[in-house]
Amino acid sequence: MTLWIVVASVAGVLVGVSRQINGRLSLSTSPLKASFWNHAVGFAALTALGLVIGGLIPAGASDVPWHVYIGGPIGVVFVAAGSWLIARIGAVNTALLVIGGQMVSGVALDLLSAASPAIWASALGVALILAGMALTQRRR
Amino acid sequence: MTPPRANPLHLLAAFGSGGLLTLMIHFNGELARYGNALFASWTAHGTGTIAALIFLAVLWRRAPAGNAPKIRTPLWAYLGGVSGAATVMFSSIAVNSPLALSGTLALGLVGQMIFSLAADRWGLFGLPMRRPGARDFAALGLVLAGSAIIILFGKGAA
Repeated sequence: MTLWIVVASVAGVLVGVSRQINGRLSLSTSPLKASFWNHAVGFAALTALGLVIGGLIPAGASDVPWHVYIGGPIGVVFVAAGSWLIARIGAVNTALLVIGGQMVSGVALDLLSAASPAIWASALGVALILAGMALTQRRR
Repeated sequence: MTPPRANPLHLLAAFGSGGLLTLMIHFNGELARYGNALFASWTAHGTGTIAALIFLAVLWRRAPAGNAPKIRTPLWAYLGGVSGAATVMFSSIAVNSPLALSGTLALGLVGQMIFSLAADRWGLFGLPMRRPGARDFAALGLVLAGSAIIILFGKGAA
């Protein structure tokens, strides 16, 4: 179990590492260029990995509906926004504001898709997140 | 030096990009359903690279000509994508462990927050150093507590 906990935590650390590095690149170039390099270099790394371990183009690949590919372009905007933000408000503020947006929109999506989340827990969670986000707006 | 605090524009941009992240995870999850996690991440990075080129081409003219020379770029600054690609592998391993999706998400948030505290404190990877204050820790605690409640009780329990 300890190993899984380490693996999951490292995944989170890596999210921060890539945002930090892309933020640094955006200082020298621009947030959109940083996002381009993030995707191009990531694509090259994953291609290399796929050629080694296989499974890059699975059997079901041709059945994918076209609209599902929109995830990639959305990611470009997401990485550019993160690179722009981290250079302006720092890593902690960027992380907690993005996490807040992710959680609240996730709850909204669950409500729309009738996944019937436990409503008391979701409402309490959203309230705590919004309070935390409001705290970042107050002047010292 | 006290850096500027987040203003409403920053809040809107970050909150909006959190929403984009939800959509991205949804679509990339669909991709993984048709194939596997590696296929999903590979495809998303590929279509993202093409999309970024199109965005850059469209916005190219509007870039101001002859602006001040920017600071030099170290080679490692181009490697953010490697870390991003590794994230996919680590999180897809964790999701398929006893931790499941909820545990993976919760621990991922903790890892992300601990790293960002260290990153600000020591100005890691060439970004400005910022010492977090009591208010930052309070905001952090509230967002993490709220996220944990949503992840562990709001949906994961289903």
